[in-house]
Amino acid sequence: MFKVGSKLFLGLTGFAAVNLVAYLVFVERLAIGGVALSIVFAALVGLTAAVLIVNEGDDEAQPRDNALTRASMWPLVTVLGLVLFVLGLVVAQVYFVLAIVVVLAALAEWMVQAWSESASDDPAHNESARRRVLHPIEFPVIAMLGLGVIIFSFSRIMLAISKSAGAVVFMVVAAIVLLVGTIFAVRPALKSALVGGICVIGALGIVAGGIAGTGAGLREELVEAAEEGHYTHRECGAEKSKYFDKKAMKTLSLRSNVAAVIELRDGRLSADVYGFSGPQEVISVPRANPVTFIFRNYDDAERRMVATLGTAMAAAAPAEGGKDAHDGKNETCTQLIPNGAEQALTITYNKPSIAQEEPFTLRVPGVDGQSIEVFVP
Amino acid sequence: MSRRGLARSIAAFASLFVLGSCATEAPQDTWQPKGPNAQMIDDLQRPVFAVAGIIGIIVFVVVVYVIWRYKDRGQPIPEQTHGKPALEITLTIIPALILAVVGVFTVRVIFDLARTDDTELVINVTGQQWWWEYDYPTQNEWGITQPIITSGQLVMPVGTKVLLRETSRDVIHSYWIPALNGKRDAVPGRIHTLRLEADEPGIYAGQCTEFCGLSHANMRMEAVALSKDDFAKWVANQQAAYQAPAEGTLAKEGESVFLNQCVRCHQVDGLKRADGTLAIAAPDENVWSGAAPNLTKFMTRNTFAGAMFDLLRDACRDDVWKAESAEFGEKYLAGVGEACLNVADLRAWLRNAPAEKPMYANPTLLTETNGKYRGMPNLGLSESDIDKLVAYLLTLR
Repeated sequence: MFKVGSKLFLGLTGFAAVNLVAYLVFVERLAIGGVALSIVFAALVGLTAAVLIVNEGDDEAQPRDNALTRASMWPLVTVLGLVLFVLGLVVAQVYFVLAIVVVLAALAEWMVQAWSESASDDPAHNESARRRVLHPIEFPVIAMLGLGVIIFSFSRIMLAISKSAGAVVFMVVAAIVLLVGTIFAVRPALKSALVGGICVIGALGIVAGGIAGTGAGLREELVEAAEEGHYTHRECGAEKSKYFDKKAMKTLSLRSNVAAVIELRDGRLSADVYGFSGPQEVISVPRANPVTFIFRNYDDAERRMVATLGTAMAAAAPAEGGKDAHDGKNETCTQLIPNGAEQALTITYNKPSIAQEEPFTLRVPGVDGQSIEVFVP
Repeated sequence: MSRRGLARSIAAFASLFVLGSCATEAPQDTWQPKGPNAQMIDDLQRPVFAVAGIIGIIVFVVVVYVIWRYKDRGQPIPEQTHGKPALEITLTIIPALILAVVGVFTVRVIFDLARTDDTELVINVTGQQWWWEYDYPTQNEWGITQPIITSGQLVMPVGTKVLLRETSRDVIHSYWIPALNGKRDAVPGRIHTLRLEADEPGIYAGQCTEFCGLSHANMRMEAVALSKDDFAKWVANQQAAYQAPAEGTLAKEGESVFLNQCVRCHQVDGLKRADGTLAIAAPDENVWSGAAPNLTKFMTRNTFAGAMFDLLRDACRDDVWKAESAEFGEKYLAGVGEACLNVADLRAWLRNAPAEKPMYANPTLLTETNGKYRGMPNLGLSESDIDKLVAYLLTLR
């Protein structure tokens, strides 16, 4: 009953079970690692059961024929994976993870090939058995990798060229894909070699473009933005960044969640709170819950909105991840935005208004004598 | 079980269901609207229910008849026919027409229930495990000159279009007072609105209807509708300054216990420490959701612990709940006095809250909640401390 293959899988299953139990006991319960190891264990149980049920596809009495054994590239790939494994331990984690994937994949391929070669005396049947087991896995994986390479290459192209050129390239590529797809659909008699060739040429073109894009690097404004770190800085001092994503602030989800819309129009600062018919001078927002304000500037000059966070809040420890840390300052703000633009500001008020010496406010520098009070119960 | 036994069991269960639908004292009955918004839903659901019920009965009877009439008795299989275009088209058009008619009225009701332009009073509602917080933004026309914060019971004036602005601090909850309107999810990071309006003074019970963790079933709420005059009195009292207990009283000792233990999470506006500084609660440092009920006017409410327990003894509670409209406001505004206080449940809660309501508040599990409680933990208070706290809480009116 238990032959080489089943013993191997039983051993692996036992090893996975020990790993799982050890992880749950000594490392952490209810963690993603435990889930992953549970899935590995379950998969091995399934594979072991399958191997036992089909009796390894073998007949014990059948004599083995070494001539049926083909040359295999998997030992070589496994060794390369192991080299990468050691390299990853020294250089970077990404190689280490990649090595684990390579080694596991190579071992799986190797084992299935070895198993299939002892299935019968007919090499064609053996190859068929191998394909039956591995093709349902190999094809999706290869397709996913191929798509990943193409998407990654395309993203390199889009990041290298200007925004307007990017729009043109996107439209042209989409039109070509639509056109070629339409031709394939209306001409089903086209030779598969021709179809495959066109697809390969297209894919190679995108990959080549991606390589060229990587060589050219990011477009200028993205490089500047990365250097300035404008995605993270919220300083209320001198403006550091020329670029900000105005359109990102116009998303539906953000608009549906605002605590108030603060507008500067005709020199007057007003707060529009959903549910109230007129402008409000005091906005009441819940404590310890993120609230989003949208600032709209209709003034000729570039303006920003500054939120004063109060003394107690500034003294409090920042929340998880430091998202509410304001570099020790008791204010945070939007960036300078031109006439007609808007920007959102999300704040978590952890302390109530009564804990403050000065009220929480929203104001616009340069617009004196006006502010919106934010009351936190 | 014999056939006769089975038939009797089915009949017994069916009778239970029928009798259950006859209950009159059912505060969360969806068929008893007490306000125009719930009435709109009721006006829609009754005809829809009737149409669906008639169709359901027809289908049920036909299925049972066919099962009985054509069951296998060894007869030859009858001729199999396929394709009756006229019948098929008819059977497609009829349900489509029914659904279209229902759809038109449903969409109209949905839009009517979503109106906000006629709002008269706005109340912010924030859900968290496992209670609701209400804060009333400044609205001078209602005498709310400074925001009011409360929990457990939503107090509103009758005949007034109230708009709730709902959100959540932790997981998704759902706010539902069946007698006043349908449900609306309270989702973290989003603000959803819900209209409420009550025709008559009274208390209307509700229930969180989105599974939200261990004590979801115990996350209740009550909407209290008061006449406009009584609502004005309630507002005035909620904004009244804090009155510290007299020196040398048990309540004063209770205030010290509160300052040592409870103020870590629970705010009482105006409460000062011995050094004269305001006592500021820090639920953001101790509770997963970042909030705990504000207890400033605790004894003006009739419930506690997420409206799971009554602050009033049964007799006093019945006296308020069953009061005539004209008397209701006065009885509700009387709050909870010593004679009516449900001391047993309050003391049990103070003694060991997690034993009274399932909560994730075990200190040994805090590593998995980043050192914070989900709900109120067992504070290990002595009986003496509980006596003092109860005396102190009774002064919060």
